[in-house]
Amino acid sequence: MSILNVRNITKVFPGTKALDKVTLSFESGKVNALIGKNGSGKSTLVKIINGAYLPDEGTLDIDGTPLKFENPSDAFDQGMATVYQEMSLIPGLSVAENILIGRYVTNGAFVDWKKTYAKAQALLDEMGIDLPLRELVVNLSVWQCQVVEIVKAMSCRPKVILLDEPTSALAQHETQILFKLIRELKKKDVIIIYITHRLQELWEIADTSTVLRDGVSTGKLEMAGAQPRDILKLMFGDVEVRNRPDDLKISDETVLEVKDFQRVPWFQDISFSLKKGEILGIAGMLGSGRTELLRAIFGADKADSGTVVLDGETIGNRSPRNMRRRGLAFTPEDRKSQGLVQILSIKDNLCHASLDQVSPGGFVDIKMEKNFADRQVASLQIKTTSIDLPMTSLSGGNQQKVVVGKWLNAEPKVIILDEPSRGIDVNAKQQIFQIIWDQSRRGISSVVVSSELEELLEVCHRIIIMRLGRFVGEVRPEDVTIEQLYSLCMGGEI
Amino acid sequence: MKPAAGKTFNLSRFSKKYMLELILSFIVIVLVVTAPGFFTLPNILNIFRNVALAGVISFGMTMTIIGGEIDLSVGSSIALSAVLTATITGALSKAGIMPMESAVFVAMACALVVGFLIGLFNGFIRTKFNIPSFIITLAMLNVVYGSAALISKGFPVTTLPDWYNWIGAGQLFGIFPVPAIWLLMSFAIVFVIMNLTKFGREVYAVGGNPESARLSGINVTFVKITILVAVQVLAAISGIILSAQVMSGSSTFGRGYEMDVISAVIIGGTSFNGGIGKVWGTMIGIVFLGVINNGMTLFGVGDFEKYIVRGLLILFAVLLNTIQLQSLQKAAKKDR
Repeated sequence: MSILNVRNITKVFPGTKALDKVTLSFESGKVNALIGKNGSGKSTLVKIINGAYLPDEGTLDIDGTPLKFENPSDAFDQGMATVYQEMSLIPGLSVAENILIGRYVTNGAFVDWKKTYAKAQALLDEMGIDLPLRELVVNLSVWQCQVVEIVKAMSCRPKVILLDEPTSALAQHETQILFKLIRELKKKDVIIIYITHRLQELWEIADTSTVLRDGVSTGKLEMAGAQPRDILKLMFGDVEVRNRPDDLKISDETVLEVKDFQRVPWFQDISFSLKKGEILGIAGMLGSGRTELLRAIFGADKADSGTVVLDGETIGNRSPRNMRRRGLAFTPEDRKSQGLVQILSIKDNLCHASLDQVSPGGFVDIKMEKNFADRQVASLQIKTTSIDLPMTSLSGGNQQKVVVGKWLNAEPKVIILDEPSRGIDVNAKQQIFQIIWDQSRRGISSVVVSSELEELLEVCHRIIIMRLGRFVGEVRPEDVTIEQLYSLCMGGEI
Repeated sequence: MKPAAGKTFNLSRFSKKYMLELILSFIVIVLVVTAPGFFTLPNILNIFRNVALAGVISFGMTMTIIGGEIDLSVGSSIALSAVLTATITGALSKAGIMPMESAVFVAMACALVVGFLIGLFNGFIRTKFNIPSFIITLAMLNVVYGSAALISKGFPVTTLPDWYNWIGAGQLFGIFPVPAIWLLMSFAIVFVIMNLTKFGREVYAVGGNPESARLSGINVTFVKITILVAVQVLAAISGIILSAQVMSGSSTFGRGYEMDVISAVIIGGTSFNGGIGKVWGTMIGIVFLGVINNGMTLFGVGDFEKYIVRGLLILFAVLLNTIQLQSLQKAAKKDR
């Protein structure tokens, strides 16, 4: 048995202390979960363990033997292997080629393919895995790729293996196969650190859970005797959930109705309605189908069945273009790749959803275009010296405001926001909430999805709980605590 | 955004922004001083006439490349359009349906429609099956060339009325070459489309990030098909001009023109990744190519050497653009 010790690690970034004198230990032969909210410092810690960051203070050691890394390849040479959620495999190569990449058995200048494949097969056998070694990675499913990643990492005989959210892109049954492999890893002499957002997994796979909050370690639990509320307490402490302003009124008029909406396997039997001015939250864990639901309502993906009624009118042809014309807006989860054209200017981006308005008769009214951009920059307080600068010149929070501003220019009736606060600082978050409330005052409704449940409690009038593709409950923010809401999302009772 | 880059030495920003224009001016000045007969009105107009054929298409190609697509088959389309115009004119007049003088109008219309249909076909395959336009048009390059050869049976077709020569070789007011007019018209129309219309804005958005454009409610399919049609129609026009210049249509026309066209667009600063580019830049690119070629001719540089110089020029231009873009992005990132 070996133990990885993290002692007094501190890491400061401009403006924030990501880790503050963190002391932890991880044992081999166990699955050690590392959990915490976004911004808790857990990814910083992972990057310190695998050499991507250097700590400002503190040390790492295994059984008292100190570890010192200058860079990730240093760390790798000393036995730190990381399996990232973004795949590092090469799609055009076979499974065996990927596992042994850079370490093929050679015979002079030539690769001895027979021996190379035999070596790869031995690695698979050792872990009790059955995979087609000659298959190209491009033809594998996501879970198979994860398995290949893990085998590849293990083939270097690491002392520590970091699994960074390996299940985030997997369906339920695929997760089970992966868990089987991870349990197999426990038999090897390797320290497993398992990072996850899916709290409900902890009881199934983890032996211990180490919790970080705001850069500080708040505790370590043996999962055997732990209750969900113990974990939640460590994660959130005494969160102060702020209330939304009390002047936000909901009218009686229904503006959006979704009926019997279905897209297998992502979501089933979804029905809800939204009143004018209402802010509705959809709460659910990663993989609950919430993003897929929002995309299908907006027409970004096709749904299998179901209807969407906007302002009393059933919309037959759901395409983003048609939904926009009918008064729906959608700010996607990944603003960089889906919400914005990064190389174009702030002005261009602010007008992309309102080109019909700024170009009457097909010709752009340059003055109106500038006005459209200026009014959003002013009212959303987008920080820039010129609207002609490219999007890349803006910070994350300001980029998000541009995505929202783009849609406000289209004068929608309902705005669908998928993770509007992801990756932006606290002030920008508050400004985004303020914008949502301002729209509500103007009679514009919102549907908000966020992984940060306390945000939903703060922003929304009403929260629907989604689990495994279904709506399983509905609460009012004033009736529940954050821990209760988390527990509901994970499948517990209040 | 940047206290550093924003208010520093203005000359450096100016020279960065107008790098291509400055280099072109420099070359022109050198040629004015050193090359015999360069700075004469006939020679200047000659330059424009020489670049007109590739130039007309290059503005369409600018739209296409900004929109994230490419068309490699425009050279063959020149041939097909020229062959069709001459052949149809001949057939109509031979059959006694109408005299050559008016038959050529019908023939030109046919050539344009065929260009339109080729573009439509490319666009359909591109958007319906999501195959890269590079591959589709590489295949079409052969198909179109083969069709032109088949229709003309491999020989030049010369059944064209005398007045038709004016389109390709005429002179307005006895001095201004008519092909240069087509060049300027093509420039003006595409310039207006790309800078002043809703469609132009959509092309930039689609080229910059098709998914974001789609989720903003832009009809990405329509944009992609339209730009692929536009470049083909302009290639057909170019084919008409060429057939009028030499008063015949042949399947050997236009070979390799796609390279000149794409070169001009790239020299003009349009990015192959889509979303970035200016119609004005392509105009500079076209003039650049014309001036360099003309200068080399005046100095008696051989055809083989010309190829080498042109090739290096493209490489140099792309290097320049890439370095500029990278320094811009670095500045933007640092600023965050």
